[in-house]
Amino acid sequence: MTHTPLKLHFNDVHKRFGRRPGLIGVNIQLIGGEGTVLTGPNGAGKTTLLRILAGLEKPDRGSVDMGLGATRWRRCYSDLRTSILYLHQHPYMFDGSVSSNLAYAISDKHNRCLCQQRISEALKWAGLTAIADNHAKTISGGERQRVALARAWLREPRALLLDEPTANLDPEARTRTLELLFRLKESGIALLIASHDPHHFASLADKHLQLTQGVLAEEFSETSNVTPFRRTHP
Amino acid sequence: MKGNINNGLKKTDRLIIKMAPDLLCLYIYIAFQHLQFMHSTLHRKQIQTLLFSLLIMITLPAAAEDNSITEPLIRLATTTSTENSGLLNHLLPVFHSASGYKVHVIAVGTGKALRMGKDGDVDVVLVHAPEAEASFVDAGYGDHRHAVMYNDFVVVGPVNDPAKIGSAANITAVMKRLAAAQSLFISRGDDSGTHKKENQLWKTAGIKADNSWLREAGQGMGKVLQIATELDAYTLTDRGTWLAYRDKSTLKILFEGDEALHNPYSIIAVSARRYPDINRTGALALIKWIRSKEAQQLIGDYRIDETPLFTPSANSDQIAASQESADNYR
Amino acid sequence: METLGNATSNALFLLISGDAELWQIVAISFQVSITAILIATPPALLTAFVLAYGRFPGRRVLISLFSTLLSIPAVVIGLTFYLLLSRQGPLGDWRLLFTQTAMILGQIALSFPILVAMGHSALQSADRRAWETALTLGANPLRAVSTVMWEVRFGLLAALLAAFGRIVAEVGASMMLGGNILNYTRNIPTAIALETSKGEFAQGIALGIVLLTLSFTLNALFYHLRGGGQPA
Repeated sequence: MTHTPLKLHFNDVHKRFGRRPGLIGVNIQLIGGEGTVLTGPNGAGKTTLLRILAGLEKPDRGSVDMGLGATRWRRCYSDLRTSILYLHQHPYMFDGSVSSNLAYAISDKHNRCLCQQRISEALKWAGLTAIADNHAKTISGGERQRVALARAWLREPRALLLDEPTANLDPEARTRTLELLFRLKESGIALLIASHDPHHFASLADKHLQLTQGVLAEEFSETSNVTPFRRTHP
Repeated sequence: MKGNINNGLKKTDRLIIKMAPDLLCLYIYIAFQHLQFMHSTLHRKQIQTLLFSLLIMITLPAAAEDNSITEPLIRLATTTSTENSGLLNHLLPVFHSASGYKVHVIAVGTGKALRMGKDGDVDVVLVHAPEAEASFVDAGYGDHRHAVMYNDFVVVGPVNDPAKIGSAANITAVMKRLAAAQSLFISRGDDSGTHKKENQLWKTAGIKADNSWLREAGQGMGKVLQIATELDAYTLTDRGTWLAYRDKSTLKILFEGDEALHNPYSIIAVSARRYPDINRTGALALIKWIRSKEAQQLIGDYRIDETPLFTPSANSDQIAASQESADNYR
Repeated sequence: METLGNATSNALFLLISGDAELWQIVAISFQVSITAILIATPPALLTAFVLAYGRFPGRRVLISLFSTLLSIPAVVIGLTFYLLLSRQGPLGDWRLLFTQTAMILGQIALSFPILVAMGHSALQSADRRAWETALTLGANPLRAVSTVMWEVRFGLLAALLAAFGRIVAEVGASMMLGGNILNYTRNIPTAIALETSKGEFAQGIALGIVLLTLSFTLNALFYHLRGGGQPA
């Protein structure tokens, strides 16, 4: 893809849940083509952080630097939403066929032929061609994950935030998901993956972060002795 | 001038009622615009053409038939007795073809009808409560009060007549016997002309009605006759409604013919001084027509099962005699 | 006296013989109620959506307010609008009393709380991820709203049917605001009330049959759509 390499800085992000501090002064960067794995115990605020970065939730405090200096959060919701895509742990499928779900991600629908062509490319890219006309609510978890990734591929965001993308997937589905993620990363998209199982994403991870009780820290351990995903299932 | 306002507003009314199909098409169109991803197999152009032709199909006939209801309109508030007896359905089509006026009939009790006249919500009223009418006119709410017709009230009740009113000499005696026997009596209780009459009769007989045997229904005459039939009770009714309802009831007329049971109907135009933009011309046209020979003939000829319901009385119009001089004086 | 069976057979005869007056009443009824529901639906559903997805103070109060309004008697609505639209009332200059527009206004007021309350619960049952996914996939808010509504379309359709069912069968407001004028504001319920008071039970039953048939058809259609549209 032809984007200039992305560099996004989020500075000093704070968020409280009622009385409990959720996020305390989190600083995080998203860099095009770089994969970051975010770990942390349950309830540490991983999901909240991702949702804040994607412009779905409002932080109590914090600023964004999209390369033009720090901006207040309120001003950049729509920018965040266009350049950053958040995928739910269980991606939502709209009522309709798989291909109509993909069509939703195409913003410019004026050219029908082009639109169809893009959909079939996306189907091929994600290996969904065989189930293109299946009802999207009936497909398996792995297929859902791939539909979501195909939507992301069509949408061409500059950063992709994933919440436990491989949880509850069988090994084969996990492999295929990781493969797609790898290709997205290759194309220059920044990946931020929140997961309990960081070793699944070893081949994607350029950086490991740990979120503990709202505080973000970089982590270097455990990465070296994990094999890349391609070799886990020969 | 009055006509303009009226017609203009009628136009909005017509517009609103014709809106439905267009709105429907609009919604389908918007929904389609927003949800097109759901129908990736349908051709957008085709649907647009389809919707458009549908719109035309529904709108055109609606627009064409529009002319039929631009006729000037008169609103007549009247009592349930004239409407339920079918008399107005007999008269008004003739008036319509003679004058071109369409009459919207709102049938309520006399009290409510006069109230509507007071509020200027109707153009003309046709009611039967002489005293209330007089005070209505005196207070300046209406003018051109004219007698139209009369019939009379009758007392109906169960065939075996437990209160023995059949043999009473006059209506005062009837009321006294009813009270003495404490037989169930259904009262209109809705401030209608009949109810006013009934109250007056109780008063003349010096009886303070007691809820244990007098039940106030608060409904129209037909409904009250139904209730009386079901409960085998007595009630006071105008003869017109009774004749229309007779076949459906097991009651029978037990007392009739007293002078005090005379039931005159008059028509009154709502005051244009208070409400300058009501359909005054229409109201006067209706009043003039209903007193005409033709209309009076129609009223006299109207029968249910060979029994005449109303006696026309425009010719022996005593109210009008005093009224007209008053009108001239003003 | 007419018996039930007698009246019913007369009613069926009236229906089959295409009694013009009867069908005119049916047509008026539908025209008025359909217009009312079409006008009421978009603002009501938007209100429902804001109540389901918005976060603002007073939201809960509004929700319970609309639920309370569900049980408001039709005559109270009728009386309120009567006083508003009567010439003596604040909106008297519009001269709308005893017109179809007045009936439509009354029916809008009647259907609005039903649409909001039932629409709200339908929309609340929608998956919040639908809204978020639509937004992240680049839908503008309007499109995201219609997407979420499409996802719960059966719930919303049920709300629509319930509201339509209420207003098409409602006497009080129509009688007061329309005045039961023949060929103009006499709709099915006011005609039933009138015919019953006149003792013409056959007419009343015939109109009742029309109402029943209508609601049966709508419900059958609804369940058919629902069955066909949502494979397990």
